[in-house]
Amino acid sequence: MARHTLKVALLVVAFSAPTAAAAQTPQDMPVLAARRVSPTFAITLWNPAGHVRLVAWDLDSLVIRGRVDASQKFMFGAGENGVKSAIEGRVVGTEPKPSELAVWVPRRSRVTVRTESADIEGVDVTGSFYTVSGAIRVSGTATSVEAESMKGNLDLNANVPWLRAKTGEGHLLLRGRPQDVDASTITGTLDIATATVLRGQFTSVSGDIHYAGAPPSGAILEFSNHGGGVDLLLPAAASGVFALSSVSGIIENSLPGVRPAAAPRAMRITLGRGDASITVRTFKGAIRLRPQ
Amino acid sequence: MSSLKAHLSEEDRHRIADGTMDEERRAAIDAHLASCWNCKSDVAHLTKTMPSLRHASEPTAPLDELWAEIHERIEQGKIVSLGKEPPEATPTPAPQKKRFSWLWLAPIGVAAGVVIALFALPGKRGAEDRQATAMVADTGTTLVSVVDSSYAYEREAQVLLDKLELQRALLRPEAAQALDRDLHVVDVAIAELKDAVARDPANPALRQLLAASYRQKVDLLKRASNAG
Repeated sequence: MARHTLKVALLVVAFSAPTAAAAQTPQDMPVLAARRVSPTFAITLWNPAGHVRLVAWDLDSLVIRGRVDASQKFMFGAGENGVKSAIEGRVVGTEPKPSELAVWVPRRSRVTVRTESADIEGVDVTGSFYTVSGAIRVSGTATSVEAESMKGNLDLNANVPWLRAKTGEGHLLLRGRPQDVDASTITGTLDIATATVLRGQFTSVSGDIHYAGAPPSGAILEFSNHGGGVDLLLPAAASGVFALSSVSGIIENSLPGVRPAAAPRAMRITLGRGDASITVRTFKGAIRLRPQ
Repeated sequence: MSSLKAHLSEEDRHRIADGTMDEERRAAIDAHLASCWNCKSDVAHLTKTMPSLRHASEPTAPLDELWAEIHERIEQGKIVSLGKEPPEATPTPAPQKKRFSWLWLAPIGVAAGVVIALFALPGKRGAEDRQATAMVADTGTTLVSVVDSSYAYEREAQVLLDKLELQRALLRPEAAQALDRDLHVVDVAIAELKDAVARDPANPALRQLLAASYRQKVDLLKRASNAG
């Protein structure tokens, strides 16, 4: 258990370490575009490689700073309530040259960012983030966040009522204070290091799922895994009804003083007053309940 | 920013450039700008950029003022306007005329129904068989809906796969490889689950896992489309 906690802590530290791109001061980069915008405007951004950092602020203005390779071109088009911007000019069949962008947007605006390998970082920003292999890191407060990567890592550390996060082989780390969550991986590990989720659906095909914390009262959480395991690390104060079932995987309960109602390949456990409802299903992955 | 020895923040630079910096802070900022060439030149550049763009988009109207326009648009889309008085009633026999025309349509409708029944019967029967299988597997209503969602996901996945084949040439090799790898993992899981369902059709957990795997496949294909 201690080893797992240490592993999660190390992952959190690793994700928190600044990348080389983020270490640059964004203000040092030249202004590419600046504009007054509506407080609820929308921006769509395309940067194939490099890094995109978005920060929400309390001004009704958009500022884009960046360093763009000489072979690439910064494109910018603006309408009444929306802006489209892109880094273009890649020669077909070649790798895109990395560009660094730092973008400031009004707090109530909505962003859509797409990249190939560029990492995306959002602070207090509401919107959708899509990438093929880049990493996505979201922090601060937002209205909704949708983060998708084909194979990159996701670190979502936000206070957000609605969150959707999906990756293939990347590692998905969920922390902060999300409420309604749909998170899934294909082969990547899914770590849930927050206990604020009220409605949660956590799915993987073969990646392990780890949940650490006490589910809040009234929470409905569903964990589904085909070949990967599901580990629930629960504190002594955890309260909920746990319905665990696996077709061919083992179900282990290491919680002290708990007598489960067990059937072949299924187990039902009530902790405390049973305030939350937790369902875990696997096909051949192991299900483990452990004390935190 | 407590010490102005550090460079100005983006917000400070922006407020100076667009003239919204409060007077209290202004003096400290000016003092910094007097000694920092870097910030000074950047603020000058921002100031130069902003005025030309400042008038490009005026702030939009507050939300309350937008309602009238939104309401009007909703009303335009309605077939029957709800919030207004109905047009003055006249003793014309218009409603009777309408009823008469429906009566004319009735025999045509019956004929169309017969034709549809004749031609669509095999498909309908197939759907019934499918539903029946679900009912045999478990008489619970929850199970029926889970089975239905599996079929729905399967159909959607097929549509997305067909679409993806057309777009595949546009996918970057890296994305295509990642997609193929993940698709293989999901398809293997689906095959295992289908096999297990065939051996134990009364197991609702298996069907729920199968539906979850199909959903994963649909999400993956959508993700590929979003990433492309």
